[in-house]
Formats: sequence, structure tokens, C-alpha cells
Amino acid sequence: MKRHVIAAAGFLLATLASPAIVPALADTVLNIGMAAADIGQIDPHRATTTQDKPVVSWICNGLVRFKPGSASLEQLEPDLATSWDKSADGKTWVFHLRQGVKFHGDWGELTADDVVYSLKRASDPKTSSFSSDYAVIDSIEAVDPLTVKIVLKKPIPSLLGLVANYHGGNVISKKAAEALGADFRTKPVGTGPFMIAEYKSNESLTLVANKAYFRGVPKTDKIVYRFIPADASRDLAFLSGELDIVYGGQDQRWVDRMAKEPNVKVEVVTPAELSILHLNETMKPLDDIRVRQAIAYAIDRKQLAAFKGAATAIPAVSVVPTGYLGTDETAKLFPYDPAKAKDLLKEAGYANGVVVKSIQTSLPTMLTAAQVVQSQLKKVGIDLQLEVVDHQSYHAQIRKDMSGATYYSAARFPVADVYLRQFYYSPSIVGKPTAVVNFSHCAVADTEIEAASVEVDAAKQKELWKTAQQKIIDDVCAVPLYEQLQVWASKTNVDFGYDFKAAIHLGPVITELTTKH
Amino acid sequence: MLKFALKRLLLAIPTLWAVLTIVFVLIRIVPGDPTIVILGDQASEQARADLREKLGLAKSIFSQYIDFMWQIAHGDLGRSLATNRPIMSDVLSVLPYTLELTLASLIVGTVIGVPLGVLAAEKRDGFADWFARVFSLAGLSFPAFVSGILLLIVFSLKLRWFPVISSANLVDPIERLRALVLPALNLGLLMVAYVTRVTRSGMLKALGEDYIRTARSKGLPSRIVVWRHAFRNALVPVVTVVGLYLGVLIGNAVLTEIVFNRPGIGKLIVTALNQRDYTLLQGLMVVTAFAVVLANILTDLTYGLVDPRVKTE
Repeated sequence: MKRHVIAAAGFLLATLASPAIVPALADTVLNIGMAAADIGQIDPHRATTTQDKPVVSWICNGLVRFKPGSASLEQLEPDLATSWDKSADGKTWVFHLRQGVKFHGDWGELTADDVVYSLKRASDPKTSSFSSDYAVIDSIEAVDPLTVKIVLKKPIPSLLGLVANYHGGNVISKKAAEALGADFRTKPVGTGPFMIAEYKSNESLTLVANKAYFRGVPKTDKIVYRFIPADASRDLAFLSGELDIVYGGQDQRWVDRMAKEPNVKVEVVTPAELSILHLNETMKPLDDIRVRQAIAYAIDRKQLAAFKGAATAIPAVSVVPTGYLGTDETAKLFPYDPAKAKDLLKEAGYANGVVVKSIQTSLPTMLTAAQVVQSQLKKVGIDLQLEVVDHQSYHAQIRKDMSGATYYSAARFPVADVYLRQFYYSPSIVGKPTAVVNFSHCAVADTEIEAASVEVDAAKQKELWKTAQQKIIDDVCAVPLYEQLQVWASKTNVDFGYDFKAAIHLGPVITELTTKH
Repeated sequence: MLKFALKRLLLAIPTLWAVLTIVFVLIRIVPGDPTIVILGDQASEQARADLREKLGLAKSIFSQYIDFMWQIAHGDLGRSLATNRPIMSDVLSVLPYTLELTLASLIVGTVIGVPLGVLAAEKRDGFADWFARVFSLAGLSFPAFVSGILLLIVFSLKLRWFPVISSANLVDPIERLRALVLPALNLGLLMVAYVTRVTRSGMLKALGEDYIRTARSKGLPSRIVVWRHAFRNALVPVVTVVGLYLGVLIGNAVLTEIVFNRPGIGKLIVTALNQRDYTLLQGLMVVTAFAVVLANILTDLTYGLVDPRVKTE
């Protein structure tokens, strides 16, 4: 009897352990692993997180698009619009749409109505997270089924950026959005190379090729986007061949480790996320500019970048991330000078040291960097007290104006205007009804920020942005620290169809050309 | 028997009420704001306030509490704040996976733990005893995410016997069973540790009793003495541990589900917590609380079956 049981158990184990039967190699399936437990919001006008944005880029088009592999506004190319004209004053724009573009499934052909609907939806705070970006639009109308006219209240730095395949510029099907209602948030319908086939919450999102895609039938048949929150499991799944592309976070050690694996290609891509220490100018002792200057002198940006890793981090250049339209790449930042920092503290009456409170997230990538800042400040006698809370609590508390020094990392739409406006413009100060993320109560550059946003002359505009950045640096509203690049890895048999150097959508764009050899 | 079961069920009501109240309060003590998750970090304060209003978070805590209790009393768990889906259907869609994992682990824990414990007691201070003690100590001290990763490295990455992503193919029953092996082992090993220890000590006590000496002196074979006489008397604490473990396993499933990428209640709890999805989190806590209470009632009922001396009347 015992022997039979053992034999049966052995047989069962052997059957279970035998390799799975390989399905017929008819379909090209890309398995992508993401560090998240689930999607957040894949409604194109709501998607802001790292796990959501790439998905939107596979589903949707804009009137223009970021060249795949590029995050530069200077390299926008025609997408749903084939051409456009603008009036001399820069306020009226007319876009001519591509003919015969079909929405996913049976949602019909794209017309100017869909574009008008999408942009109006993106401007409405009830349906969009990016409405403030579109507040400048005065009217949008369909001139005829293939022509859209946009009239602005005032000329802006980059209208094309607002109608690109990014955030509110993504064009969706009016019919689908109206018919699906609340379900649209998990089944958005666009014109892109892939369409949503199945969503399993907490598990995966499956997309299939849109055979009617206007640039041609996609070479990849199916994308399985898997949510794998545990880092170690995600890496193991990638190494065992169950994933083709994997999110690598921002970790130098991860880069080093993965680079040693056979058949693995590691990609370190821009845009960078800028980490900044925002100093609350209304809170003691930071209300004293000498204390803020002391902090700026005490911080060693090179050491921070080296700590984060040579391949994945670079020292910050300004209070706006590098490479954005209008970033002052040669801004005069405070040099590392601990002696000067000590002098300033003494002058301010803190010869015996000073305590600065900081609410800090427990997210390891951010916490470890904050601890390096803490040790740098300690050397000059500044005691940065980190009150560590979980990431969601951190987000909530810093918005209630509870933190003295706030360590924050962010990437934004690559125009200086957006970053300046959200972080250093007085209406964005936390606590106000119009608050965004101005944690420092910075208000020294309002005039320049406002003037730049309506300046038609590009050179003058850049000059205004430059002045604004220098004023913010000199007032020490914030101390820029380092910039963090993003890391992805793919198997060498994955061919993106373009050079994957930048990811404005925070992940690889899967185009009609992307395939697996 | 029926009367006993009914009485136990009635007694469970105040327990559940207390648990629900604690859940409600705890969730609201945790700082955080679901609107940041839903609207993204670039939304204005005004938009956030509007959303809070819409989600019913602007109401007073007390009226939220009344709403919550009223809903539960009607068997309605409400809708998720983040996805707006009915919570009941979300929970029901993952519940089978958690139950499957829990039961499989329970089997692993009992089938390995009980014989190991009996063997250890029988050959006290022998090799089996030493092995059982080391093994259970290891089982107790390994966190599930460490043992899980080790299992994955050996059996999935090196030997390629089992998939890393357990949820890759859940339609094919063979594949589904294959994907269950490692998670069940991982979760079950923790339980083996406890079951072994309890069985061992229960057996040691039973084996020292007079009736065992009598049985042995009657010339009964050792197998009969150990299993029929001693083991039956050592069973009550074992059943207690196994029963209580049903609840513990549901809780511990969180880590195992995440490491092995299995859908389930545990994974859903983590998602809900990260998104500050109060209603979903509440719903999940309610379901878990019910499961634990139910497991306890079942344990109580089993006592009567295992040991006729325990009166159920």
C-alpha cells in the first residue's frame, strides 16, 4: 500500500514537473513585467503613473507624436494630423487629419469630432488630470470632418506638445467613451497599434494587435503586460524567460547584475527624474535665508550621483530637469563648500547646530538618497530629522504643509514652464485651493514665469525662464540634488524597431515595427 | 450538535461586529489620501476636494460608519474607490485561488507535519527527532518571502520544473496544479513547523500515560500502540492548531501570493492598501474576518468528532 502511494505521488510529481507543452509558434507575444500590483488609471486623460503611461502609448495616437525613442519636443512628427498651419500671432492653429484612420474594434473611423471631443475632455477637470495644461485653449472646433481649428487665449510655448500623444493630447473615440461610460477607464479605445483585449485585475493586461492600424499591421500579435510587484520574483521571471521586457527601476546594482546575464540588453533611458530638496520658507529655521544657503552649500551633488550609480544618475544642473525646453543647463548652483555652510549657520545664530524636520517616504529608492543628504548636512551641524512614513502618507502629509524640508522626485512634460509653474509659482503653494506641488512657498519668480508663458519670441522666452531659474536658486526655495535615469531590460531577441534611448511615456513604446526574432 | 453550531454562530455576531468596527477605525487612522492615487500628483487641491465629496469621504466619520454597517448588514460590500467595480465580484473572482492555496497548504502542513511529529516523539532524541526539531526551527524562522525566492531559484530558474509566474496559465487544470505546487509548499512548510511541534509534545505526553504501558505489556504491535492508542489522544491539540492555522494561512497567503504572483485575497489587500482604497480594504477585511470565524467554528465542531469526551451539547 505504502509503495503504491509513493509511486503515485512520484508519478504525479513527474507529470507536474515535466516542461509545459510549447504552443505552436504562430503568434509573436511580448511579455512585459511591471513593478506594480495593478494598473492605476489607464484612461488616457487620467494616466499619470509609471505603470499606466506606457499602456496608453500603445493604444493611442495624438495629432502629432514624439518620435519613438525620443522625449524631445524638438522631434515631434505628424501622427493623426498630416499637416498644420498657424496664424501669425500664434493663437490660431488648424490641423489637417489623416484620412481613413480607424478606431479599435467596431468604433468606426476617426473624424474631427473625436479630436474635438478628446481635447475638450482633456480640458475638463471632471474627466482629466491634465485640465490645467489646457486652460489656455479658448475654442476647439471641427471645421469639416478632417479639419480641426484650435484658438488660444494667448500664444503658448508649445501648443504641439499639448496635442502630442502624451497625457491630454491622446485622441480617443467619442462614441466609445460615451457608450462605455465608467467602463472606459479599463477599456479605453484609441487608434493605436494595440487594443485592450483582456484585463485581469491584480494580474495582467492583455493587448492584441490592431490589424487596421494606419501605419501597417503590427509585427507583434499580442502584448501581455504583467503586474509583478515583488522585485525578486519579477527578475526571476525575466531570467527564466517568462518575460521578454522588464522594468528595472532606477537601481545601479540591478544594472550591473543584469548586464552580466546572457542574452540580456539593459537600457538606461531619459527623461530623467529630478530629485530636489524643497525648503519650506515659512517654517523655522528655514525662514532664515542663511540657513537655506547653508543647506545649499552643504550638499555635495557629485557624491549623491555617485551614490545612486554612475550609469543611472547624474548631478542636477538646475531647478528644472536637464533637456527640457527652457532648462538653463549652465545655471549657477551653490558649490559644495562645507566651511561656508558652517559660517552661515554661525551668522544665523546656530553655531551649535540646527534641527530641520522632513517628512520622508519609506520607498527605498527615495529614502536611501534622503539619508545621504542627511549625512551630508550632519557634517556642517544641520540635523535633518526624517519622519519616515509610507509612500501614500508621505504624499498626503507634504501636501498639508507639514514638512520643513521636502525631498521630492519628479519628471514633467518637457517644457520648463510646467515644472516652474507646478513647483515654484505662488498659486501652486500647498494649502491653497489651486495648490499643486509648491512645497517651499516659493514666490520669487512669478513675474518671469507669467511673462515667459505669453512670450512669442522663443529666445526672449528662454531668457525669462533662465532668469526665473536663477532667482529660485538664489532664494534657495529648493536645492537640486541629482537626476535619475530610468532602467529597463529586454532579451536580445526583442527588436523595438527604433533606438530605445528615451521614454517620455516612462516605458518602451511598442510600435507596429516592434517584434521578437 | 445543530444547537451547538447555531449557538456558536450567534456568538460569532458580536465578535464580527467588534472586528468590523476595529477595521473601520484602523483604516481611517492610517494617513493617506485616495485622491492622490486616483487623480495623480499633478491635480489641484480643488479637484481633490471635489472627488472627496463625490466618494463620500467628506461626510462625518460617524455617518460613514453607519453607512458601512448598514451595507454590511445587507450583504453589500460597496464599490471600490479606485476602480468603481463592485467589491463582492472582485473578491469572489480571487477567492477560489486563495482557498485553493490555503487548502493545499493545509494538506502539505498536515501530511508532513503529523507523521514527522509522531516519529519524533516515538524516537525521542533520535535522528528523526533531531531532524524534526531543526526542520521546524528552520520553518519558523524563514520568512515566507525568503523561502519563496529560494524555492523559485531552485525549482523554477535552475531546474525549470515549475513556472515563476503562477498566474500565467490558470485555464488548463494541469498547468494550474503545476503552478500551485511551489506556493503550497512554501506556505505549508510554515505550518509543518507548528504542527510537528504540537504533535510531538502531545505524543510525548500520551506515550508516557499508563494505558500505553498497559497496551505495550499486552504485546500489541508498536504501530497499533502509537497510532491507535496514543495518537488519538494527542489529536485534540493538533486539530486546534490546524483549525487556527486556517486563519493564519489566509493572512500569510499575502506574502506567498506576491512572491509567486498568484491572484488572491492577499494580493488584493496589498493593492487596496497602496491605493488607499478604503472600501475595498474594508470589504477584504470583512471577508477575512468571516473566514477566520468560520474556521474557528469548524474547529470546535471537529473536536466532537475527534474526541467523544468533548460534549457538543
